[in-house]
Amino acid sequence: MAARTRLPLQSLLHKNLPSFRNQRIVHTEAAVQEPAYPPVVPSLTAKSKSARRRQIEEHLEKVRAADVQDKLSLLTRIQRKKYVVVPQTFARNADRWYQHFTKTSYIPGLPEKFTVSEETEKDSALPAAAAATENASTVIGDDVFADIRSLVTHAILQEHWYMEKRKPFLFREQEQVMGPFLRNLVTGLTNSLAKHNPLLRLSSIDLKPQVNFYWMRGQRIIPKGHRRGRQEPIRFQIDDKPHSQIRITQQLPQFTTLEASYAAEVPQIKLAPDLMPLFKRQYDNNIFTGAKLPDPACYGHTQFHLVPDRYRRDVMARRQQTDQVEVFLRANGLASLFAWTAAQAMYQGFWSSEDVSRPFVSQAVITDGQFFSFFCYQLNTLALSVETDADNPRKNLFWGTQSLRLYEAVQDGAVVGLNDRVLKLLVQFLMNKP
Amino acid sequence: MATRRLIYPIYQLGNPQLRIFRPNWALTLVRPGREQPKDTVQFRVPMEMTKCDVRNYLEKIYNVPVAAVRTRIQFGSNKKRNHLNQKVKEPDYKVAYVQLAQGQTFTFPDIFPEKKLTPAEGSMEEMQEKFMEDEKQRQKPDPRRGGVTEWFGL
Repeated sequence: MAARTRLPLQSLLHKNLPSFRNQRIVHTEAAVQEPAYPPVVPSLTAKSKSARRRQIEEHLEKVRAADVQDKLSLLTRIQRKKYVVVPQTFARNADRWYQHFTKTSYIPGLPEKFTVSEETEKDSALPAAAAATENASTVIGDDVFADIRSLVTHAILQEHWYMEKRKPFLFREQEQVMGPFLRNLVTGLTNSLAKHNPLLRLSSIDLKPQVNFYWMRGQRIIPKGHRRGRQEPIRFQIDDKPHSQIRITQQLPQFTTLEASYAAEVPQIKLAPDLMPLFKRQYDNNIFTGAKLPDPACYGHTQFHLVPDRYRRDVMARRQQTDQVEVFLRANGLASLFAWTAAQAMYQGFWSSEDVSRPFVSQAVITDGQFFSFFCYQLNTLALSVETDADNPRKNLFWGTQSLRLYEAVQDGAVVGLNDRVLKLLVQFLMNKP
Repeated sequence: MATRRLIYPIYQLGNPQLRIFRPNWALTLVRPGREQPKDTVQFRVPMEMTKCDVRNYLEKIYNVPVAAVRTRIQFGSNKKRNHLNQKVKEPDYKVAYVQLAQGQTFTFPDIFPEKKLTPAEGSMEEMQEKFMEDEKQRQKPDPRRGGVTEWFGL
Protein backbone atom coordinates (compact mmCIF):
# COMPACT_ATOMS: atom_id res chain seq x y z
CA MET A 1 0.00 0.00 0.00
CA ALA A 2 2.71 2.48 0.92
CA ALA A 3 4.55 1.64 -2.29
CA ARG A 4 1.47 2.46 -4.32
CA THR A 5 1.00 5.88 -2.74
CA ARG A 6 4.60 6.85 -3.26
CA LEU A 7 4.82 9.12 -6.19
CA PRO A 8 7.57 8.48 -8.69
CA LEU A 9 10.65 10.61 -7.84
CA GLN A 10 11.24 11.76 -11.42
CA SER A 11 7.85 13.36 -11.78
CA LEU A 12 8.41 15.27 -8.56
CA LEU A 13 11.83 16.51 -9.53
CA HIS A 14 11.19 17.40 -13.17
CA LYS A 15 7.62 18.60 -13.31
CA ASN A 16 8.02 20.27 -16.67
CA LEU A 17 9.39 17.30 -18.60
CA PRO A 18 7.21 16.16 -21.50
CA SER A 19 5.24 12.99 -20.75
CA PHE A 20 6.74 11.17 -23.71
CA ARG A 21 10.42 11.24 -23.00
CA ASN A 22 11.33 9.96 -26.42
CA GLN A 23 9.90 12.92 -28.17
CA ARG A 24 12.73 15.31 -28.92
CA ILE A 25 12.08 19.01 -28.97
CA VAL A 26 12.62 19.71 -32.64
CA HIS A 27 14.06 23.05 -33.59
CA THR A 28 11.17 25.51 -34.26
CA GLU A 29 11.06 29.19 -34.97
CA ALA A 30 10.77 31.37 -31.93
CA ALA A 31 7.15 32.31 -31.73
CA VAL A 32 6.67 36.04 -32.32
CA GLN A 33 5.22 37.30 -29.13
CA GLU A 34 2.99 40.34 -28.96
CA PRO A 35 4.31 42.66 -26.22
CA ALA A 36 2.25 41.88 -23.24
CA TYR A 37 2.68 45.42 -21.75
CA PRO A 38 2.49 48.90 -23.35
CA PRO A 39 5.85 50.70 -24.12
CA VAL A 40 7.70 52.26 -21.19
CA VAL A 41 7.55 56.05 -21.70
CA PRO A 42 7.96 58.89 -19.26
CA SER A 43 4.83 60.09 -17.55
CA LEU A 44 2.76 62.87 -19.06
CA THR A 45 1.60 64.64 -15.92
CA ALA A 46 4.52 64.27 -13.51
CA LYS A 47 6.55 67.28 -12.40
CA SER A 48 9.76 66.11 -14.06
CA LYS A 49 11.96 67.08 -16.97
CA SER A 50 11.18 63.92 -18.91
CA ALA A 51 7.47 64.53 -18.47
CA ARG A 52 7.89 68.06 -19.81
CA ARG A 53 9.86 66.72 -22.76
CA ARG A 54 7.11 64.23 -23.50
CA GLN A 55 4.45 66.96 -23.28
CA ILE A 56 6.35 69.05 -25.79
CA GLU A 57 6.85 66.05 -28.05
CA GLU A 58 3.15 65.22 -27.94
CA HIS A 59 2.27 68.81 -28.76
CA LEU A 60 4.61 68.76 -31.76
CA GLU A 61 3.08 65.50 -32.95
CA LYS A 62 -0.37 67.02 -32.61
CA VAL A 63 0.64 70.04 -34.68
CA ARG A 64 2.25 67.81 -37.32
CA ALA A 65 -0.87 65.71 -37.61
CA ALA A 66 -3.28 68.66 -37.91
CA ASP A 67 -4.37 70.28 -41.18
CA VAL A 68 -3.15 73.73 -42.16
CA GLN A 69 -5.87 75.83 -40.56
CA ASP A 70 -5.52 73.98 -37.26
CA LYS A 71 -1.73 74.13 -37.48
CA LEU A 72 -1.84 77.90 -37.75
CA SER A 73 -4.22 78.25 -34.86
CA LEU A 74 -2.23 75.84 -32.65
CA LEU A 75 1.03 77.69 -33.34
CA THR A 76 -0.41 81.15 -32.76
CA ARG A 77 -2.69 80.25 -29.88
CA ILE A 78 -0.70 81.31 -26.85
CA GLN A 79 -0.14 85.05 -26.44
CA ARG A 80 3.05 86.27 -24.81
CA LYS A 81 5.14 89.42 -24.92
CA LYS A 82 6.85 89.68 -28.29
CA TYR A 83 8.99 92.14 -30.20
CA VAL A 84 7.03 94.06 -32.82
CA VAL A 85 9.29 94.31 -35.86
CA VAL A 86 8.33 97.35 -37.91
CA PRO A 87 9.44 97.16 -41.57
CA GLN A 88 9.57 100.96 -41.95
CA THR A 89 11.63 101.75 -38.92
CA PHE A 90 13.49 104.79 -37.65
CA ALA A 91 16.16 102.64 -36.00
CA ARG A 92 19.68 102.96 -37.36
CA ASN A 93 21.39 100.02 -39.10
CA ALA A 94 18.13 98.15 -38.91
CA ASP A 95 18.97 95.96 -41.89
CA ARG A 96 21.76 94.14 -40.01
CA TRP A 97 19.49 93.48 -37.05
CA TYR A 98 16.68 92.23 -39.29
CA GLN A 99 19.08 89.95 -41.13
CA HIS A 100 19.96 88.37 -37.80
CA PHE A 101 16.32 87.98 -36.74
CA THR A 102 15.31 86.29 -39.99
CA LYS A 103 18.56 84.40 -40.79
CA THR A 104 18.88 86.19 -44.12
CA SER A 105 21.98 86.96 -46.09
CA TYR A 106 22.09 90.15 -48.16
CA ILE A 107 23.49 89.96 -51.70
CA PRO A 108 23.89 93.32 -53.45
CA GLY A 109 22.48 93.45 -56.96
CA LEU A 110 19.80 91.22 -58.40
CA PRO A 111 19.84 87.46 -59.13
CA GLU A 112 21.27 86.25 -62.45
CA LYS A 113 17.79 86.02 -63.94
CA PHE A 114 17.44 89.80 -64.04
CA THR A 115 21.01 90.80 -64.71
CA VAL A 116 21.46 88.42 -67.67
CA SER A 117 18.25 89.46 -69.39
CA GLU A 118 19.26 93.06 -68.81
CA GLU A 119 22.42 92.45 -70.83
CA THR A 120 20.57 90.63 -73.58
CA GLU A 121 18.15 93.51 -73.91
CA LYS A 122 21.00 95.98 -74.07
CA ASP A 123 22.40 94.25 -77.17
CA SER A 124 19.13 94.81 -78.94
CA ALA A 125 20.75 94.18 -82.31
CA LEU A 126 21.08 90.45 -81.53
CA PRO A 127 17.74 88.73 -81.61
CA ALA A 128 17.45 85.63 -79.44
CA ALA A 129 20.86 86.19 -77.85
CA ALA A 130 22.32 82.74 -77.13
CA ALA A 131 21.75 81.09 -73.76
CA ALA A 132 18.93 81.73 -71.32
CA THR A 133 15.80 80.38 -72.87
CA GLU A 134 13.86 81.33 -69.81
CA ASN A 135 15.07 84.90 -70.10
CA ALA A 136 13.76 85.09 -73.63
CA SER A 137 10.26 84.91 -72.25
CA THR A 138 10.78 88.12 -70.26
CA VAL A 139 11.88 90.04 -73.31
CA ILE A 140 8.95 91.83 -74.88
CA GLY A 141 8.76 93.59 -78.18
CA ASP A 142 9.67 97.25 -78.70
CA ASP A 143 6.13 98.34 -79.50
CA VAL A 144 4.86 96.87 -76.25
CA PHE A 145 7.69 98.64 -74.48
CA ALA A 146 6.65 101.90 -76.10
CA ASP A 147 3.12 101.34 -74.79
CA ILE A 148 4.46 100.72 -71.31
CA ARG A 149 6.52 103.88 -71.56
CA SER A 150 3.57 106.02 -72.53
CA LEU A 151 1.53 104.47 -69.74
CA VAL A 152 4.17 105.34 -67.17
CA THR A 153 4.56 108.86 -68.59
CA HIS A 154 0.82 109.44 -68.36
CA ALA A 155 0.75 108.12 -64.80
CA ILE A 156 3.49 110.55 -63.80
CA LEU A 157 1.92 113.48 -65.62
CA GLN A 158 -1.54 112.72 -64.19
CA GLU A 159 -0.42 113.47 -60.66
CA HIS A 160 2.10 116.18 -61.39
CA TRP A 161 0.68 118.03 -64.38
CA TYR A 162 -2.81 117.15 -65.61
CA MET A 163 -4.59 117.19 -62.29
CA GLU A 164 -4.91 120.57 -60.65
CA LYS A 165 -4.07 120.18 -57.02
CA ARG A 166 -3.61 122.38 -54.07
CA LYS A 167 -0.31 122.18 -52.30
CA PRO A 168 -0.45 118.87 -50.41
CA PHE A 169 -1.05 118.98 -46.70
CA LEU A 170 2.10 119.18 -44.61
CA PHE A 171 3.97 115.85 -44.60
CA ARG A 172 1.19 114.14 -46.50
CA GLU A 173 2.64 114.52 -49.97
CA GLN A 174 3.52 110.87 -50.28
CA GLU A 175 0.08 109.52 -49.47
CA GLN A 176 -1.75 112.22 -51.44
CA VAL A 177 0.40 112.44 -54.57
CA MET A 178 2.71 109.44 -54.86
CA GLY A 179 0.19 106.94 -53.52
CA PRO A 180 -2.31 107.42 -56.36
CA PHE A 181 0.54 107.55 -58.89
CA LEU A 182 1.89 104.19 -57.73
CA ARG A 183 -1.61 102.73 -57.71
CA ASN A 184 -2.18 103.81 -61.31
CA LEU A 185 1.23 102.50 -62.27
CA VAL A 186 0.71 99.09 -60.73
CA THR A 187 -2.78 98.52 -62.04
CA GLY A 188 -1.95 99.89 -65.49
CA LEU A 189 1.23 97.86 -65.87
CA THR A 190 -0.41 94.65 -64.64
CA ASN A 191 -3.33 95.04 -67.00
CA SER A 192 -1.21 95.78 -70.03
CA LEU A 193 1.30 93.01 -69.32
CA ALA A 194 -1.45 90.46 -68.68
CA LYS A 195 -1.55 89.83 -72.43
CA HIS A 196 2.02 88.61 -72.31
CA ASN A 197 2.14 86.96 -68.92
CA PRO A 198 -0.64 84.40 -68.41
CA LEU A 199 0.04 84.37 -64.68
CA LEU A 200 -1.14 87.93 -64.34
CA ARG A 201 -4.47 87.10 -65.88
CA LEU A 202 -5.39 84.96 -62.89
CA SER A 203 -3.72 87.18 -60.33
CA SER A 204 -5.24 89.34 -57.61
CA ILE A 205 -4.06 92.85 -56.95
CA ASP A 206 -4.57 93.89 -53.33
CA LEU A 207 -4.56 97.55 -52.40
CA LYS A 208 -3.33 98.31 -48.88
CA PRO A 209 -3.42 94.66 -47.78
CA GLN A 210 -2.44 93.40 -44.37
CA VAL A 211 0.53 91.07 -44.13
CA ASN A 212 1.40 89.53 -40.77
CA PHE A 213 3.87 86.94 -39.57
CA TYR A 214 4.79 85.54 -36.16
CA TRP A 215 7.95 83.55 -35.42
CA MET A 216 10.42 82.65 -32.70
CA ARG A 217 14.19 83.00 -32.93
CA GLY A 218 16.85 82.67 -30.28
CA GLN A 219 16.54 82.33 -26.54
CA ARG A 220 16.93 84.56 -23.54
CA ILE A 221 17.13 83.99 -19.80
CA ILE A 222 14.14 85.42 -17.97
CA PRO A 223 15.63 88.03 -15.61
CA LYS A 224 12.82 88.45 -13.12
CA GLY A 225 9.61 86.86 -12.01
CA HIS A 226 8.51 83.43 -10.91
CA ARG A 227 10.15 81.92 -14.01
CA ARG A 228 13.48 83.61 -13.35
CA GLY A 229 16.60 81.88 -14.65
CA ARG A 230 14.77 79.73 -17.18
CA GLN A 231 15.24 79.85 -20.94
CA GLU A 232 12.52 81.47 -23.03
CA PRO A 233 12.30 81.76 -26.83
CA ILE A 234 12.31 85.31 -28.23
CA ARG A 235 9.14 85.99 -30.19
CA PHE A 236 8.71 88.42 -33.07
CA GLN A 237 5.74 89.73 -35.00
CA ILE A 238 5.65 91.72 -38.24
CA ASP A 239 2.50 93.68 -39.09
CA ASP A 240 2.97 95.23 -42.47
CA LYS A 241 0.71 97.27 -44.76
CA PRO A 242 2.31 97.43 -48.21
CA HIS A 243 0.91 99.88 -50.69
CA SER A 244 -0.18 97.08 -53.03
CA GLN A 245 0.68 93.51 -53.90
CA ILE A 246 0.07 90.97 -56.63
CA ARG A 247 -0.83 87.43 -55.63
CA ILE A 248 -0.76 84.56 -58.14
CA THR A 249 -2.00 80.98 -58.38
CA GLN A 250 1.30 79.31 -59.19
CA GLN A 251 4.59 79.52 -57.40
CA LEU A 252 7.47 81.50 -58.92
CA PRO A 253 10.61 79.48 -59.73
CA GLN A 254 13.59 79.68 -57.39
CA PHE A 255 16.44 82.08 -58.07
CA THR A 256 19.17 79.72 -56.83
CA THR A 257 19.27 76.20 -55.39
CA LEU A 258 18.89 75.50 -51.70
CA GLU A 259 22.47 74.25 -51.50
CA ALA A 260 23.82 77.52 -52.85
CA SER A 261 22.63 79.25 -49.68
CA TYR A 262 24.82 77.12 -47.40
CA ALA A 263 27.84 79.32 -48.07
CA ALA A 264 26.04 82.61 -47.42
CA GLU A 265 26.89 84.67 -44.34
CA VAL A 266 24.36 85.97 -41.89
CA PRO A 267 25.45 88.69 -39.40
CA GLN A 268 25.29 87.43 -35.81
CA ILE A 269 24.32 89.97 -33.16
CA LYS A 270 24.72 88.83 -29.57
CA LEU A 271 22.92 91.82 -28.02
CA ALA A 272 19.25 91.88 -27.10
CA PRO A 273 16.86 93.40 -29.66
CA ASP A 274 15.89 96.11 -27.13
CA LEU A 275 19.09 97.95 -27.95
CA MET A 276 18.02 98.47 -31.55
CA PRO A 277 15.50 99.94 -30.23
CA LEU A 278 12.73 97.38 -30.56
CA PHE A 279 9.71 97.26 -28.31
CA LYS A 280 7.63 94.47 -26.86
CA ARG A 281 3.89 94.11 -26.78
CA GLN A 282 1.40 91.33 -26.27
CA TYR A 283 -1.54 90.91 -28.62
CA ASP A 284 -2.94 88.51 -31.22
CA ASN A 285 -0.38 86.44 -33.07
CA ASN A 286 -1.34 86.73 -36.73
CA ILE A 287 -0.06 84.94 -39.80
CA PHE A 288 -1.64 86.37 -42.92
CA THR A 289 -0.53 86.75 -46.55
CA GLY A 290 -3.17 89.24 -47.59
CA ALA A 291 -5.91 86.73 -48.32
CA LYS A 292 -7.46 83.97 -46.25
CA LEU A 293 -6.37 80.37 -46.46
CA PRO A 294 -8.83 78.93 -49.06
CA ASP A 295 -7.95 81.65 -51.60
CA PRO A 296 -6.53 80.04 -54.80
CA ALA A 297 -4.07 82.90 -55.34
CA CYS A 298 -1.98 81.88 -52.35
CA TYR A 299 1.49 82.50 -53.76
CA GLY A 300 3.07 85.90 -53.92
CA HIS A 301 4.45 87.69 -56.95
CA THR A 302 5.35 91.32 -56.27
CA GLN A 303 4.81 93.81 -53.48
CA PHE A 304 4.93 97.56 -53.90
CA HIS A 305 5.86 99.81 -50.99
CA LEU A 306 5.68 103.55 -50.68
CA VAL A 307 8.26 105.39 -48.62
CA PRO A 308 6.44 107.53 -46.03
CA ASP A 309 7.04 111.26 -45.70
CA ARG A 310 9.21 110.83 -42.67
CA TYR A 311 11.80 108.83 -44.60
CA ARG A 312 11.90 110.85 -47.80
CA ARG A 313 15.33 111.81 -49.05
CA ASP A 314 15.04 115.54 -48.40
CA VAL A 315 13.70 115.02 -44.90
CA MET A 316 16.51 112.60 -44.07
CA ALA A 317 19.04 115.03 -45.51
CA ARG A 318 17.74 117.75 -43.23
CA ARG A 319 18.38 115.44 -40.29
CA GLN A 320 21.85 114.56 -41.70
CA GLN A 321 20.91 110.93 -42.13
CA THR A 322 21.51 110.46 -45.85
CA ASP A 323 23.46 107.27 -45.28
CA GLN A 324 20.41 105.72 -43.62
CA VAL A 325 18.18 106.13 -46.70
CA GLU A 326 19.47 102.97 -48.36
CA VAL A 327 19.57 101.15 -45.04
CA PHE A 328 15.90 102.01 -44.48
CA LEU A 329 14.92 100.69 -47.91
CA ARG A 330 16.83 97.46 -47.37
CA ALA A 331 15.32 96.92 -43.92
CA ASN A 332 11.85 97.60 -45.29
CA GLY A 333 12.30 95.20 -48.20
CA LEU A 334 13.78 92.50 -46.02
CA ALA A 335 11.17 92.58 -43.29
CA SER A 336 8.17 92.88 -45.61
CA LEU A 337 9.32 90.18 -48.01
CA PHE A 338 10.29 87.80 -45.23
CA ALA A 339 6.88 88.19 -43.61
CA TRP A 340 5.02 87.68 -46.90
CA THR A 341 7.08 84.73 -48.13
CA ALA A 342 7.10 82.99 -44.80
CA ALA A 343 3.33 83.46 -44.45
CA GLN A 344 2.92 81.89 -47.90
CA ALA A 345 5.04 78.94 -46.77
CA MET A 346 2.96 78.52 -43.62
CA TYR A 347 -0.21 78.53 -45.72
CA GLN A 348 1.23 75.49 -47.48
CA GLY A 349 1.67 73.70 -44.16
CA PHE A 350 5.38 74.26 -43.52
CA TRP A 351 6.52 75.53 -40.16
CA SER A 352 9.48 75.54 -37.83
CA SER A 353 9.66 71.77 -37.30
CA GLU A 354 8.55 70.90 -40.83
CA ASP A 355 10.92 72.92 -42.93
CA VAL A 356 10.13 74.00 -46.49
CA SER A 357 10.81 71.34 -49.11
CA ARG A 358 11.11 73.88 -51.94
CA PRO A 359 12.26 77.51 -51.83
CA PHE A 360 9.57 80.19 -51.78
CA VAL A 361 10.24 83.34 -53.76
CA SER A 362 8.86 86.87 -53.88
CA GLN A 363 9.77 90.28 -55.23
CA ALA A 364 9.27 93.84 -54.07
CA VAL A 365 9.61 97.34 -55.43
CA ILE A 366 10.04 100.17 -52.93
CA THR A 367 9.64 103.71 -54.17
CA ASP A 368 9.12 107.24 -53.02
CA GLY A 369 7.64 108.33 -56.35
CA GLN A 370 10.90 109.16 -58.09
CA PHE A 371 13.47 106.65 -56.85
CA PHE A 372 12.81 102.95 -57.33
CA SER A 373 14.58 100.06 -55.58
CA PHE A 374 14.08 96.44 -56.52
CA PHE A 375 14.33 93.54 -54.09
CA CYS A 376 14.08 89.77 -54.38
CA TYR A 377 13.72 87.28 -51.55
CA GLN A 378 14.15 83.53 -51.47
CA LEU A 379 12.96 81.70 -48.38
CA ASN A 380 15.02 78.52 -47.94
CA THR A 381 14.29 77.78 -44.33
CA LEU A 382 11.56 78.41 -41.78
CA ALA A 383 13.40 76.59 -39.00
CA LEU A 384 14.49 79.63 -37.02
CA SER A 385 13.87 78.54 -33.42
CA VAL A 386 16.76 77.28 -31.27
CA GLU A 387 15.96 73.56 -31.43
CA THR A 388 15.36 73.45 -35.16
CA ASP A 389 18.21 75.80 -36.10
CA ALA A 390 20.90 73.77 -34.29
CA ASP A 391 22.23 72.04 -37.41
CA ASN A 392 20.43 73.85 -40.17
CA PRO A 393 22.89 74.97 -42.85
CA ARG A 394 20.25 76.70 -44.97
CA LYS A 395 19.99 80.46 -45.04
CA ASN A 396 17.45 82.78 -46.59
CA LEU A 397 18.66 85.00 -49.40
CA PHE A 398 17.86 88.63 -50.09
CA TRP A 399 18.89 90.55 -53.20
CA GLY A 400 18.54 94.32 -53.54
CA THR A 401 19.57 97.22 -55.73
CA GLN A 402 20.46 100.75 -54.88
CA SER A 403 17.68 103.25 -55.53
CA LEU A 404 17.46 104.25 -59.19
CA ARG A 405 15.83 107.40 -60.49
CA LEU A 406 12.85 106.81 -62.75
CA TYR A 407 12.64 110.33 -64.14
CA GLU A 408 14.49 113.59 -63.64
CA ALA A 409 11.68 116.12 -63.54
CA VAL A 410 8.32 117.09 -65.00
CA GLN A 411 8.50 120.20 -67.16
CA ASP A 412 5.76 121.79 -69.29
CA GLY A 413 3.69 118.68 -69.63
CA ALA A 414 6.59 116.36 -70.44
CA VAL A 415 8.61 113.95 -68.38
CA VAL A 416 12.31 114.73 -68.61
CA GLY A 417 14.91 111.97 -68.38
CA LEU A 418 12.78 108.85 -68.21
CA ASN A 419 15.17 106.01 -67.28
CA ASP A 420 14.65 103.00 -69.54
CA ARG A 421 16.66 100.67 -67.34
CA VAL A 422 14.28 101.14 -64.44
CA LEU A 423 11.30 100.55 -66.72
CA LYS A 424 12.92 97.40 -68.07
CA LEU A 425 13.52 96.10 -64.57
CA LEU A 426 9.92 96.84 -63.64
CA VAL A 427 8.70 94.99 -66.71
CA GLN A 428 10.96 92.02 -66.00
CA PHE A 429 9.74 91.87 -62.44
CA LEU A 430 6.13 91.77 -63.54
CA MET A 431 6.81 89.33 -66.37
CA ASN A 432 8.47 86.85 -64.03
CA LYS A 433 6.74 83.48 -64.40
CA PRO A 434 7.58 79.78 -64.02
CA MET B 1 24.84 133.58 -12.60
CA ALA B 2 23.14 130.90 -14.67
CA THR B 3 22.46 127.80 -12.60
CA ARG B 4 20.93 124.52 -13.58
CA ARG B 5 17.70 125.41 -11.89
CA LEU B 6 16.75 128.15 -14.37
CA ILE B 7 13.24 127.97 -15.79
CA TYR B 8 13.47 128.59 -19.51
CA PRO B 9 10.54 130.45 -21.12
CA ILE B 10 7.85 128.24 -22.60
CA TYR B 11 7.80 128.38 -26.39
CA GLN B 12 4.78 130.06 -27.99
CA LEU B 13 4.11 130.36 -31.70
CA GLY B 14 6.01 133.33 -33.07
CA ASN B 15 8.68 133.33 -30.38
CA PRO B 16 12.25 133.34 -31.53
CA GLN B 17 14.14 130.11 -31.18
CA LEU B 18 15.51 129.50 -27.70
CA ARG B 19 19.25 130.00 -27.72
CA ILE B 20 21.39 129.02 -24.79
CA PHE B 21 24.83 130.51 -25.12
CA ARG B 22 26.65 129.34 -22.03
CA PRO B 23 24.90 126.28 -20.65
CA ASN B 24 25.78 125.35 -17.14
CA TRP B 25 25.26 121.70 -17.83
CA ALA B 26 27.91 119.03 -17.45
CA LEU B 27 27.64 115.67 -19.16
CA THR B 28 29.21 112.57 -17.66
CA LEU B 29 30.36 109.77 -19.93
CA VAL B 30 29.76 106.49 -18.12
CA ARG B 31 30.59 102.88 -18.77
CA PRO B 32 27.35 101.11 -19.77
CA GLY B 33 26.06 98.62 -17.22
CA ARG B 34 24.76 96.38 -19.99
CA GLU B 35 26.69 95.93 -23.20
CA GLN B 36 25.63 98.44 -25.85
CA PRO B 37 26.11 98.38 -29.64
CA LYS B 38 29.40 99.78 -30.89
CA ASP B 39 27.99 103.13 -32.01
CA THR B 40 26.17 103.88 -28.74
CA VAL B 41 27.68 106.09 -26.04
CA GLN B 42 26.08 106.39 -22.60
CA PHE B 43 25.95 109.69 -20.69
CA ARG B 44 24.50 110.88 -17.40
CA VAL B 45 22.92 114.23 -18.16
CA PRO B 46 21.21 116.81 -15.95
CA MET B 47 17.46 116.35 -15.55
CA GLU B 48 16.66 119.62 -17.26
CA MET B 49 18.26 118.61 -20.56
CA THR B 50 16.14 117.27 -23.38
CA LYS B 51 17.15 115.08 -26.32
CA CYS B 52 17.54 118.15 -28.53
CA ASP B 53 19.67 119.82 -25.87
CA VAL B 54 21.98 116.80 -25.66
CA ARG B 55 22.31 116.68 -29.42
CA ASN B 56 23.07 120.38 -29.77
CA TYR B 57 25.46 120.28 -26.82
CA LEU B 58 27.55 117.49 -28.31
CA GLU B 59 27.44 118.81 -31.85
CA LYS B 60 28.15 122.47 -31.17
CA ILE B 61 30.58 122.27 -28.28
CA TYR B 62 32.41 119.02 -28.91
CA ASN B 63 31.86 118.54 -32.68
CA VAL B 64 30.61 115.01 -32.14
CA PRO B 65 28.30 113.89 -34.98
CA VAL B 66 25.12 112.68 -33.32
CA ALA B 67 22.61 110.54 -35.17
CA ALA B 68 20.06 109.75 -32.48
CA VAL B 69 19.55 110.39 -28.78
CA ARG B 70 17.29 108.42 -26.45
CA THR B 71 16.85 109.38 -22.81
CA ARG B 72 15.39 107.86 -19.70
CA ILE B 73 15.17 108.89 -16.09
CA GLN B 74 16.63 106.51 -13.55
CA PHE B 75 14.83 106.51 -10.24
CA GLY B 76 17.25 106.61 -7.28
CA SER B 77 16.12 104.28 -4.53
CA ASN B 78 14.34 105.58 -1.46
CA LYS B 79 14.53 102.31 0.39
CA LYS B 80 17.77 102.59 2.35
CA ARG B 81 17.62 103.80 5.90
CA ASN B 82 20.28 105.51 7.95
CA HIS B 83 21.25 104.88 11.55
CA LEU B 84 18.23 106.91 12.68
CA ASN B 85 15.93 104.67 10.66
CA GLN B 86 15.08 107.57 8.34
CA LYS B 87 14.65 106.89 4.69
CA VAL B 88 17.59 108.06 2.62
CA LYS B 89 16.90 109.01 -0.97
CA GLU B 90 19.54 108.44 -3.62
CA PRO B 91 19.25 111.19 -6.25
CA ASP B 92 17.46 110.54 -9.54
CA TYR B 93 19.41 111.07 -12.72
CA LYS B 94 18.80 111.13 -16.45
CA VAL B 95 20.66 108.75 -18.78
CA ALA B 96 21.13 109.54 -22.46
CA TYR B 97 22.05 106.92 -25.06
CA VAL B 98 23.68 108.69 -27.99
CA GLN B 99 24.11 106.94 -31.33
CA LEU B 100 26.98 108.34 -33.34
CA ALA B 101 26.61 109.27 -37.00
CA GLN B 102 28.89 108.54 -39.99
CA GLY B 103 29.58 104.99 -38.85
CA GLN B 104 31.73 106.06 -35.91
CA THR B 105 32.19 103.68 -32.98
CA PHE B 106 33.21 104.15 -29.39
CA THR B 107 34.27 101.73 -26.67
CA PHE B 108 34.59 102.85 -23.09
CA PRO B 109 38.30 102.70 -22.19
CA ASP B 110 39.72 100.68 -19.33
CA ILE B 111 40.42 103.37 -16.72
CA PHE B 112 41.86 101.07 -14.04
CA PRO B 113 44.21 98.67 -15.80
CA GLU B 114 45.83 95.91 -13.78
CA LYS B 115 49.35 96.87 -12.80
CA LYS B 116 51.93 94.27 -11.82
CA LEU B 117 54.23 95.92 -9.28
CA THR B 118 57.72 94.66 -10.03
CA PRO B 119 60.32 96.60 -8.04
CA ALA B 120 63.39 97.95 -9.85
CA GLU B 121 66.50 95.76 -10.02
CA GLY B 122 69.00 95.97 -7.13
CA SER B 123 66.78 98.15 -4.96
CA MET B 124 65.77 97.73 -1.32
CA GLU B 125 62.23 96.68 -2.23
CA GLU B 126 63.41 93.84 -4.38
CA MET B 127 65.69 92.47 -1.61
CA GLN B 128 62.87 92.79 0.92
CA GLU B 129 60.45 90.93 -1.36
CA LYS B 130 62.96 88.16 -1.90
CA PHE B 131 63.54 87.90 1.84
CA MET B 132 59.77 87.72 2.50
CA GLU B 133 59.35 85.04 -0.15
CA ASP B 134 62.17 82.93 1.38
CA GLU B 135 60.60 83.26 4.83
CA LYS B 136 57.22 82.10 3.52
CA GLN B 137 58.90 79.17 1.81
CA ARG B 138 60.57 78.20 5.09
CA GLN B 139 57.24 78.28 6.96
CA LYS B 140 55.53 75.91 4.54
CA PRO B 141 55.25 72.28 5.67
CA ASP B 142 57.13 69.46 4.00
CA PRO B 143 55.43 68.79 0.65
CA ARG B 144 56.37 65.11 0.91
CA ARG B 145 53.87 64.71 3.76
CA GLY B 146 51.00 65.38 1.32
CA GLY B 147 49.16 67.95 3.42
CA VAL B 148 49.11 65.89 6.61
CA THR B 149 49.95 68.07 9.66
CA GLU B 150 53.00 67.56 11.85
CA TRP B 151 50.85 66.64 14.84
CA PHE B 152 50.72 63.09 13.58
CA GLY B 153 53.89 61.11 13.62
CA LEU B 154 56.86 60.86 15.77
